[in-house]
Amino acid sequence: MTAEATSGPQDASKTARNDNVDDVICVRDVRKAFGDTKALQGCSFTARRGEVHAIVGENGSGKSTLAKIISGVFPADSGTVELQGGTPSSPAHARTLGVATVFQEVLLAEGMTVFDNLFIGAEGPRTRKGPRAEQLRRVAAVFTELLGEALDPYGLVDDLPLSMRQWVTIARALLSEPRVLILDESTAALDHSGAERLYEAVVRLKAAGMCVLIVTHRIEELTRFADRATVLRNGVDVGTLEGPQITQNRLLEMMTGDTAHFGEGAATAALPPPVPQGERAPVVRASGVRLRHGAAPFDLDVTDGEIVGVIGLDGQGQAGLIQAVAGIRPAAEGTITVADRKGNELRITRQKDAADAGVAYIPGDRKLEGTFPNLSILENFGMPLFRTQRSGGVIRFGAVQKAFEEQRAALSIRLNRPSAPIGTLSGGNQQKVLIGRALAADPGVVVLNDPTRGVDISAKHSLYDLLRRLSSQGSTVLFLSSEIVEFIGLCHRVAVFRDDSLFTTLQGEQITVDGVLAAMFGQADGIPGKEKELGS
Amino acid sequence: MTVKDSSLLRRFADRHGYAAVPLGLLVCLLALAAVRGPHLFTSDGAAYAIVSAAPLIMATMALTPIAMAGRGGVDLAIGPLVGFVNVGLVFWLIKSGVTSPLFIIAFAIGVSVLFEVVQGLLIAGLRLQPVIVTLSGFLVLAGVNLMITDRPDGMTPAWLTAWGTPTSVLSPATGVLVAGFVMWTLIARTSFFHNLRVMGFNERTAYASGVPLVLTRVGAHAIAGVYAGLAGVLYTAVIASGDPAFGQQYTLIVVTALLLGGISVGGGRGGALGAVVGAIDVFLISDALATFDFGAGASFVVQLVYGLILVLALAVGTVFARSGLRRRPRDGRVEVLA
Repeated sequence: MTAEATSGPQDASKTARNDNVDDVICVRDVRKAFGDTKALQGCSFTARRGEVHAIVGENGSGKSTLAKIISGVFPADSGTVELQGGTPSSPAHARTLGVATVFQEVLLAEGMTVFDNLFIGAEGPRTRKGPRAEQLRRVAAVFTELLGEALDPYGLVDDLPLSMRQWVTIARALLSEPRVLILDESTAALDHSGAERLYEAVVRLKAAGMCVLIVTHRIEELTRFADRATVLRNGVDVGTLEGPQITQNRLLEMMTGDTAHFGEGAATAALPPPVPQGERAPVVRASGVRLRHGAAPFDLDVTDGEIVGVIGLDGQGQAGLIQAVAGIRPAAEGTITVADRKGNELRITRQKDAADAGVAYIPGDRKLEGTFPNLSILENFGMPLFRTQRSGGVIRFGAVQKAFEEQRAALSIRLNRPSAPIGTLSGGNQQKVLIGRALAADPGVVVLNDPTRGVDISAKHSLYDLLRRLSSQGSTVLFLSSEIVEFIGLCHRVAVFRDDSLFTTLQGEQITVDGVLAAMFGQADGIPGKEKELGS
Repeated sequence: MTVKDSSLLRRFADRHGYAAVPLGLLVCLLALAAVRGPHLFTSDGAAYAIVSAAPLIMATMALTPIAMAGRGGVDLAIGPLVGFVNVGLVFWLIKSGVTSPLFIIAFAIGVSVLFEVVQGLLIAGLRLQPVIVTLSGFLVLAGVNLMITDRPDGMTPAWLTAWGTPTSVLSPATGVLVAGFVMWTLIARTSFFHNLRVMGFNERTAYASGVPLVLTRVGAHAIAGVYAGLAGVLYTAVIASGDPAFGQQYTLIVVTALLLGGISVGGGRGGALGAVVGAIDVFLISDALATFDFGAGASFVVQLVYGLILVLALAVGTVFARSGLRRRPRDGRVEVLA
């Protein structure tokens, strides 16, 4: 399919410029703006066949936009994008040029089966490509290669956990037999071992001559297997590193342009703030909670000023606790109570209870739970304030505006004007607006559901600082994350979930990457385990 | 049970599970018909039923690909379009002496495909809201029909009149229905149709995966045009004249049939099976009600009952789906108890 698209006669200028036949992607001075926001301001790089090329940068540095331009989703405002055989004008065209992209958003048609989702757009308009048995065989082969096991092709994608949905989109890309595979933050929805498997697959594909473009801000893993890395900062490429030059600190330096702040060991935070000593009544109390019928019951008490990390392998119930405390999805059995500022214990059974008790929920999935992309930044921010800040039924916009300015200054949200749609902000800044929204109500308990997914390092660090500040002011923080490193030096305790129940709680010196990881894999004594059969 | 068997069964369930409630309703209505109007089960009665229901079945099948293409696309213009084919055939072609079946069918399909493609281009190409485009189409065609003639008149050639006369179960109308169904089955095997379903379920996913959205949506409208044209021919055969006022009520009946057939106007879910069952459901409801004596208010009662059954069917379907009867969490897959 791709062969005939590329073997046709080329015009002379194109072949002349591609002096190196191995250059499969040639991006020259590409610019792209969305309204007032300049996503790319002159970005160039080349990627060769048979290499793993990383595009790294902070959030809002324009790397996802670049991936989308190469995939034909957006046209570039100016500059050229050349794949061998042409400039992609639409996703369909990019596909015929041999580009397959796994987008950051897990794009699946819900209501259809895995099989249906795997062959979207992969075929010509007339007939299916090959008999069904042949397709099934290829599907089984791809999943076996990726996961080590076959996936039921006739199951509905709706019933799959997020990580499996991500695997389906990855398999879809591979089934189109691309020459260029673009992975845009594709490990975001995968757990640690899943990411490892994906990287193993990437190395195999590279050996087979594919060009793999990895767009990510997760730089830790890259250092091991990226052949080259192009770093973006504020929509401009600030340099390309090769082989051994690719180190974490070097990348961080180039991404942020700040050598002082990200020296040795900067990824870990300072010590957690001290918790006031003495007998204190717990603020959040879970007693006899079963997240689903049949799961083991557990108790958990969290006092004021405590930061408790919540983690587990993908889908082990950690999100269930967060959602139960926030009143979004009540637990199947047991009670969860939260003490409000006056000390009254309120039982949480629905979202209103949580709001009354002063629980603020900060979602991780901004698209699904967080933002209204068509509404303005200010409206997104003021959503919960509209209920309280009003006189005689009329919203007092002045008060909302004032609250917004306070949070904007406190969180250093970068924006052009508050009346612009929130969709024009980068992921990190959208997240800050959501955090500001939660904090504006002066909550006693802050519940975060993986807030740092898709957020750059400096935004992460300002979030950690914020959580420390909240803690020292006596707020209670429940912080769900998928990255263990985030807990170190920040959390007083870490609650590890397995099988939809609390497996163990680690504290103090027990909180290390190896210790938490071991607990996630079911070893209570904190000795790192070797086996990884529990992958997903 | 072999793996292959179970996967075939599941594929069928995934694809046609939406039709479980419509099929249940059909069984109930057939039972009611057996009591109230047993004539339907005689050979003459069945012949009459097929000829009378055929235009509605075809019109419902016309709406199906458009609804499946998503974006809340219900072609409101379907009634006046069938009416336009009717008056166009009678007052333009037949009056000027063209009576060849080939010409008549080609004209019917041609004009309605043309009309639907224009609607499709407006919706997909200019990204106008489907409801606005098809409402405009409804108003324009309703007006055009009345401009062609202001009262029912005209006659049809002998062969077409014969199509509308129920003599045998194996009438030409049956032939057209079978042909329409076979055509659908063939289309459903193409990847065009697969793309259409994906687009209906999730347009963003479809676009990002390289589905040509404009082409696919216009294609859905073109297929709709073919069925709308056939509906027009069958309808002309039934009334054996040209009726300009026909069509405005018809849109509502066709949409009712579409929804009773379990086809989601939200996109993706649906198929010919649902369209046919839904249309037969509507026919059986009106036929059963005709056996009661409601006097002058009969047509109002029929509409009232359509409305009630529609809400009931959708409510049952929703409760059914939620209660977990239909979807048991057995390794996360769909099971149909029917």
